[in-house]
Amino acid sequence: MTLRLAAVALMAILAGLPLSILPSLGALAALALVVGGAGAIAASVPLATAGGALALIEYALALVVAAPDPDPVTGTAVGVGLVLLLASVHFASLTRGAAVGYPVIRSQARHWLSIVALGVVGAAVFTLGGEALALALRGAGLPLVVAASAVGALMTVAGAIALVTAPRRDA
Amino acid sequence: MSWTPTGLNLSFLTLIGWALFLGVLTGRAELMVVAVPLVVALAAGRRAKAPTAAWQISRQVSADRLVEGERVSVTVTLRATEPLALVELLQPLPPQVWPGRGRNHAFFSLRPGEEVRWTFELAYAGRQRLRLADLHLRLWEPLGLAAAETRHHEAHSEVAVYPHVAPLRRPPRPLRTQTFVGNHVSPAQGEGLEPGDVRPFAPGDQVRHVNWRATLRLGALHVTRHHQERNADVVLLLDTLADVGPAGASTIDRAVRGAASLAAAYLARRDRVGLIEYGGILRQVRPGAGRAQWERLLDTLARASVVFTYVTRDLEMIPPRVLPPQALVLALSPLLDGRFVRAAANLAARGFDLILIAVSPVAAGRALVRGGPVADVAARLWALEHRAYLDDLRRDGLTVVDWDGVEPLEAALARWQRPRLRRAHA
Repeated sequence: MTLRLAAVALMAILAGLPLSILPSLGALAALALVVGGAGAIAASVPLATAGGALALIEYALALVVAAPDPDPVTGTAVGVGLVLLLASVHFASLTRGAAVGYPVIRSQARHWLSIVALGVVGAAVFTLGGEALALALRGAGLPLVVAASAVGALMTVAGAIALVTAPRRDA
Repeated sequence: MSWTPTGLNLSFLTLIGWALFLGVLTGRAELMVVAVPLVVALAAGRRAKAPTAAWQISRQVSADRLVEGERVSVTVTLRATEPLALVELLQPLPPQVWPGRGRNHAFFSLRPGEEVRWTFELAYAGRQRLRLADLHLRLWEPLGLAAAETRHHEAHSEVAVYPHVAPLRRPPRPLRTQTFVGNHVSPAQGEGLEPGDVRPFAPGDQVRHVNWRATLRLGALHVTRHHQERNADVVLLLDTLADVGPAGASTIDRAVRGAASLAAAYLARRDRVGLIEYGGILRQVRPGAGRAQWERLLDTLARASVVFTYVTRDLEMIPPRVLPPQALVLALSPLLDGRFVRAAANLAARGFDLILIAVSPVAAGRALVRGGPVADVAARLWALEHRAYLDDLRRDGLTVVDWDGVEPLEAALARWQRPRLRRAHA
């Protein structure tokens, strides 16, 4: 139950973070919190995913409407929050009705934190790479940049799908 | 063993897709950054070390034979030879079995050389042959993105749960006895302790049998004869054509407990006890005595259950070595299926010494429905109908003992006592 409450708290942070940029998105934040919170309480990964997607839409709306200065730290925090949300809700759904000792929780927390740290490093590298690319592309036409980013996004998604579906070389 | 991707991958992909789509749509770099930790997590899960059978596992069960009410504990020992980030162990349980103390599902995280002992107790509804399925072992990638599963088979995985036996001091006395020495006073006269007829002295009679009081009164030597003490053949006829009631307290469960109590009482008196399970499958245990016979009977009783059939089994087909003509037949039935009643009446008509112990289905059936005035009235009507049916059977010449299955069988038998026989039978 503690894990589920932690997931609810995480969902509340994810839904609440865009409100610091644009407070008028309260209704969408509430919807994301209800859906994601229900997913966390019921230990349902699909519901938590839906809640996370709603929080992302809310974040995107806040960025578009308020148009603040680029802030990769908040973006990294949202990404890390989504990773932890999915991992914790999935673990809660796995361990429902099972005996779980503190060593397991400790070990899981250690693994999750190491993956989060990797994610933070990855986001930092991505941001720095983006800055460098921005310098290189300074003066380029907007349609070209948008097309390049769209192709990059598509390739990332395709790569992620290939990563998941490719056969492994296991023992 | 190999990793299998879990549904969590789809969730990660969904959020990555949303973040990138919204990033391209809005032109905000933060949304692209959001996707990075998700992609990194997905890649890290993908790069998890290939699972190997780097463990030793064993499962021990505290007992292989139990009596209803006793609990059995299962201990699983898992030793890792390589680090196991997250191991899931699941012991599937058969129907009517549930964890008593502890859980049958657990997660562990082990360092190399570390050993864990996981113990849980099992509770069950009643007598049965409890077969523990293979232990499921699943290795998880720490984030839950991939899993590898295997099963562990243990040779000794069956526990026999025997019916509870209530002590019976005075089981029904058989009308006819057998030739071996036992505890029943036989109608036949010969050597024994129980005094019988007095008759004139005949050559060959022992002096210690002379009845001096009768001799003095009648003026000629008279001797006292004695009833022989012999054993008897008892056959328990168990009706498994129909069953009513919750698991562990159904009419068959109650009848089985009664049959086990009767078998224990007769075997303690050195009688030979047999068993016929009259149902979809006609199971038989030839009459016998001793400890081995007791275990045979318990094994058969533990398995007794309803097997549906339209076929009416004919008891005439049962060979005399299973159903001896001189045997006392104790039929235990809820009297819900007319085929059993006809079979019992047929046995009585063929001259078998038959006592029908009617296990009332009313209390067992009542336990299945929620309380309320309608259910109460229905139960009372059913009880009246059942009693009237028993009276009909008695009028037809059957010896019927009414037992509700809840009170001790001894109390039900105490209300019915067979008259003591004095006439000699061949």
